[in-house]
Order: sequence, then structure tokens, then C-alpha cells
Amino acid sequence: MSRRPSAVSRRRFLQSTALGAAAAAGVLHAPAVLRAQGPAIKVGVLHPVSGALSYSGQQGRMGAQLAIDEINAAGGIKSMSGAKIEAVLGDAQSTPDGGNAEVEKMNGAGVAAIVGGYASGICLAASQTAARYDLPYIVDVGVVDSIVSRGLKNTFRFGPGFGVIAKTAIDSLVTINEQASKAAKTLMIVHEDSAFGSGLAKLLNTQLPERGFQVLETIPHPTPTRDFNNVVLKIKAQNPDLVIPANYYNEYVLLARTMQQQKVRPKGIYSVLGGAASSYKFVKEFPEAAQFIMDCNHWFDPKNPKALALKKQIEAKGEFYTYEVYMNYSCVLLLADAIERAASADRAKIIAALESSTFAGHVMPYGPTKFVNGQNQGAAPANTQVIGNDIQVIFPAAFASAKPVFPMPPV
Amino acid sequence: MPILAVVGLLAAVPLITSSNVTLNFMVMALLIALVGQGWNLLGGFGGQYSFGHAAFFGTGAYVTAILQMRYGVNAWLGFVIGVAAGALFGAITGLLSFRSGLKGSYFALITLAFAEVLRIVASVTPITGAGVGTLVILDLRPEAFQFQSRAPFYWIILALVGVSLVLTRMIEHSRFGAYLVAVRENEDAARALGVDATMIKLGAMTVSAAMTAAGGCFYTQYFLFIDANIAYGPWISIEALLAPIIGGIGTVFGPLLGALLVKTLGELAKLVTGGAPGLDLVIYGGVLVAVVAFAPRGMAGIFVDLRRLLRKAQERGDG
Repeated sequence: MSRRPSAVSRRRFLQSTALGAAAAAGVLHAPAVLRAQGPAIKVGVLHPVSGALSYSGQQGRMGAQLAIDEINAAGGIKSMSGAKIEAVLGDAQSTPDGGNAEVEKMNGAGVAAIVGGYASGICLAASQTAARYDLPYIVDVGVVDSIVSRGLKNTFRFGPGFGVIAKTAIDSLVTINEQASKAAKTLMIVHEDSAFGSGLAKLLNTQLPERGFQVLETIPHPTPTRDFNNVVLKIKAQNPDLVIPANYYNEYVLLARTMQQQKVRPKGIYSVLGGAASSYKFVKEFPEAAQFIMDCNHWFDPKNPKALALKKQIEAKGEFYTYEVYMNYSCVLLLADAIERAASADRAKIIAALESSTFAGHVMPYGPTKFVNGQNQGAAPANTQVIGNDIQVIFPAAFASAKPVFPMPPV
Repeated sequence: MPILAVVGLLAAVPLITSSNVTLNFMVMALLIALVGQGWNLLGGFGGQYSFGHAAFFGTGAYVTAILQMRYGVNAWLGFVIGVAAGALFGAITGLLSFRSGLKGSYFALITLAFAEVLRIVASVTPITGAGVGTLVILDLRPEAFQFQSRAPFYWIILALVGVSLVLTRMIEHSRFGAYLVAVRENEDAARALGVDATMIKLGAMTVSAAMTAAGGCFYTQYFLFIDANIAYGPWISIEALLAPIIGGIGTVFGPLLGALLVKTLGELAKLVTGGAPGLDLVIYGGVLVAVVAFAPRGMAGIFVDLRRLLRKAQERGDG
């Protein structure tokens, strides 16, 4: 215990030097930073940075912090005389009650709003706790539709929910299949068994048969799962034309690699919110396993220069430009815009500003933001495919950078 | 008497602090104490080590949630039915396993299997909301067992812990408790003396399941969201046995002591490590290993040892 004070002072020292560096950078770009500043506005940044979802959580935290640094370097919140945004970091430990405890702490610390959550379960619990304090909560990813259908006034989701994602995914799949003269007729779904994977599997199971596909089998698995041999053996036995995985990063990679090892090669792997299918990390580390995998997922606007600049910035740090990064980055910018217009850190005023938001300065292909009952109406996923060593957008046509390769060519 | 003193002391916590962080922390610690007390009754006093108390926790949690959301049952009534359902489920699993003569590691495995089967079933059946889970609508009215402030929740869980303490103390001093300990120490000898071991174990399992189910019901009301991994996941089975083992297995105050210690440890580790993700869990694990290695009979055991040492020192002084 006697070592505590020195530890704190070291951290303070680091913080102050970092601030100093940020301020110096700010001076170079915008001398306005030297004006008198309002007190810092605290913003809760909540992610599962430890536990089963730690990789995604850390990516999300990085995206949020980058946005905060950028806002502060550009002179903070101008309507509040350049007040800086101060991140209050929280670790949800990959569990809903972990997220809940962090929201309590953030509320105690006097945050003006919270961004994050990542997993649906965490978002559900955390936003509900935030609702007790009328604390604005911006969901970064959490796709379960009940997050915004509960009638919580404080909860806003910037990204798309299941309903929209499943519909887009199925529409695109039908189009791709028709272009390949209906090469695929049968399919199997492999999904993780929490809110996200099961909810999606349920939707796919009801909608795919209506569109002429036969679902041979649906295989749930928990997160984490560390062995997919049995699952892949089942796929091998059923020999479907398509495999549809819906799971988080680690499980997705493992599934794809196990399929590669056991030489299971369906006509296509088409994932919906596949944790790794549109991840540069996966493509770089396992290019062969990733080849030709298609995905319907959150994706940045490839024609937006800001999105590409952010990509360069992330890659220069040796990190991967994953959807957690740019979605959190966008959510923080969205919040900052609301605080700017509210000209106040008052929670009710921020909620009102979010409700009327038309924010378009984000990096997603959503167009101007418009919330109806907390859901951003323009939010939609994109279809991607791993072709060569890159990830190309194949749908929607407005953003497409390549034509889909389907069925997969033989090795 | 000590129970009254401890509960009274703890009841004053919300009067001292208005910090919801502290209250939330205490609520979680007391919840673990309650669930741990359930485990302790069967495992500590009865010697039947269960690895699957999640089965009872989850049953309580789901029954309350489903009754409220699907059948519009009042939350308080749902709570009572949830506890009853947990007890019933405990009696059924107890009957199945004890009548088949499952003991020791076999009993532990069968309880684990029950919990896992329920977890998988709950993650696919529509009535539990399958993998999406069940969400209880936010409705901040005392009639709906939801409160604006954390303090009423705290008092309720404290009251539940208080009841569990009194119940455990009563059982400890009753004939039933004596039989239970006899079964733990030597089941064959107990049988030879005319103790109906199966019935005794069954009784203990039912009460144990009811306590744990009460914890589950409370969890639902507090967090308003459960899914298969929360309700039937291994985390709660582990918490349920960790608290009494750390605190002192087979003692009345063991689970409460253990839960407070384990949770405080977790929070302290988080404070010390600050921003480094996951490091707190490493420290937490390390300290747990140390506690188990140096205090195999838990915290309560340390107190007993200390008292004995003091007495010895006194005797030596007298001599």
C-alpha cells in the first residue's frame, strides 16, 4: 500500500505529458486551443477489455480513444469554450453484471454520457442501469433488437440491428446466388449460443427457407469454444453448398482454420456478422483460410476520405482496422456533436440533442444520422469478400469495389 | 445473537454511504453470500459437494422472469414461486441422485451435468427466450419489485442473507443438523444408528436449492436480464462454492465472510492495477491460491486457530 502514491503520481505524470503532447499538437494545428477552457466533460468508455471478448473490447476502446484525442486536439467542445472530453474507461469483463458495475462507477464519477458495451448482453444490462440515472447511452455494436425496442429514452444505437442485417444479408445472398445461376441450394448455420448468434440463427432459419434455401442443420456452440473438429465433421458429413457462421472473432478463425485443415470446401462460406470474416487481422494471419469468405457485416464507407485516413492511422500503429474501431470512433464523434449542439454536459440536454441529431461526420456508409426510438434509421451493413490479400466490398453497388467470386474456385 | 449484530451492522451501510458503487458492490457480495450459504448447507454441513448449484440459481431466475414477462404474474409472487420451483427442482435432482446412491465425485459430476443440460436446454427453447435471453421490463415501482434507489435492494438481499443465517444456525443446532453432520462424517455409521441418510440429504438439498434459487430470483429483479449463460453458467456454481470454501466450510458465517473477502479482493485488485485489462483477475487468482494454501479451513478456521493459539499462550503464561 505504501507504494500507491508513487504509482498514482507516475500515472498522473504520464497523463500530463500525454496531455501536454496533445496540447502541443493542438497548438500546431489550431492555435484556438490556447483560449480559456471550460472544465473537462467526462464520458464513459465501456468495453469488455478482459475476458472472452477482450480483443474486440480493446479494439473498441482504441477507436473511442482516438476520436476523443482527435476532438481534444482540434480544440475540444467549442460551444463550451473548448472544454476537453475526458474518458472514464470501464472494463465490463465480458459479462453483463461487469458492465452494470462499471456503469454505476461511471455514474458515480459524474460522466455526461456512456459509449460502448459491444456485446448485446452487456449493452442490455448497461443501458438499463444507465436509464436509472437518465444517463445517455450510445450502443456501439450490440445488435439485438430488444436493445432499442424496450422504450428506454436514454439508449441510442448508431449501428444496424439484427432485423436490418438479416434482411440485407438474405437479399444479397439471393442476388449473389442468382448471378451464379443458383449454385447453392442447401446450407448449414454455425452460431454462437448467446443473444447475438442465436437471435440471428432464428431469423435466418425462418427466412431462408422462404427464399428457396434448405437449412440442413443449425449448430450452436458456446463462446469461448476451443475445438471445432466435431462441428466440421458434421459439416463434412452433410456436405452443404453453403456454410453460414455467426460467431465472435476467435471462434470464427478457429472454425475457418479447422475447415481448411479437414479440407472441407463448400461452394461458399457466407457469414452474417462473422466475427473474423471481414477482419484484416484474420486475412493477414491466415490468408488461405480466409480466401473467398463472404460476409455481411459492419463496414466503413470506403469512399470516405476520413475513413481511409483513420485506416492509415490505425495501421501505422501496427493495429488492425476492425469494425469495433471505426464504429466506436463514429459513436464518440456522434456524441461530441450532440454535446456541441447541447452546449452543456447536462444529461437531459444531451439526450434531446441526440434525438434530433443529423450528424454526418462519421465514417460509416449510413448517411446523416436520424434516430427513431433510439435506432439510427440509415444504419445498414455491407457485404464484403476476401479476395487476394484484401477485403473488397461486393454490395451495396454504390460502394462496391469488386464483383463477388462465387462459387469458390477449386484450389 | 451474533447474527443479529452482524445483520444490524450491515443494515446501517446505506445510512453511512449514498454511493451506489458501494451499494452495488455490497449487493453482489451479499448475493454471493446467499448462494454460497445454499451450497454450504449441503456441501459444508452435509458433505455433498455440488458443482452445479447454477441449476437452482438459474431455475429461480428463469421462473421469476418468465412468470412476469409471459404470464403477467406479480414480481413478488413470482419471487416466491421461483424459490419454490428451485426447492422442488432440488428435491427432484436430490431424489434421483441420492436414491441411485451417488456420492462424492459422482454426486459432484451429476450436479454439474444437471446444470450444463439446463444451460443448453435454456439456450435453445423458446420459452426462455433461447439464446437471446429474457428481459424484464424496467418498471421502477415497489409493487413490481424494482426500486429507483439501490438501498431497498440492499436491504432485501441483506434480509434474505439474514434469514439464511438464522436458518443455518437453527439447522446446526437441531436434530436434523446433527444427523446431517453424522451423514457427512460417516454415512454407513449413521445408517447403522438408524439415521435415514437419504431423507436427511434430500432435506438438506431442498433447503439448499431454495436458498440458491432465492439468489437467482433476486438476480433477475436486480439486473432485469438473464440468458442461459448467466442463469445456468458455471460462473455461479463456482462463486457458490468459492465463498464458503474461502470463508470456512461448514460454518454459519463462512459464506458471508468468504463472499465479502472474495469480492473485496476483486475490487482491490482492480483499483491497484488501474487500467491494465485483466491484470486484476491475475492478482485475484494468485491471492485465492494463497488463501487456500495457507488457510485450508477458510477464514473461520483462521479465527479458531488464533483463539487456540491465544489460549495456549495464556496457559503457558499461567504455568
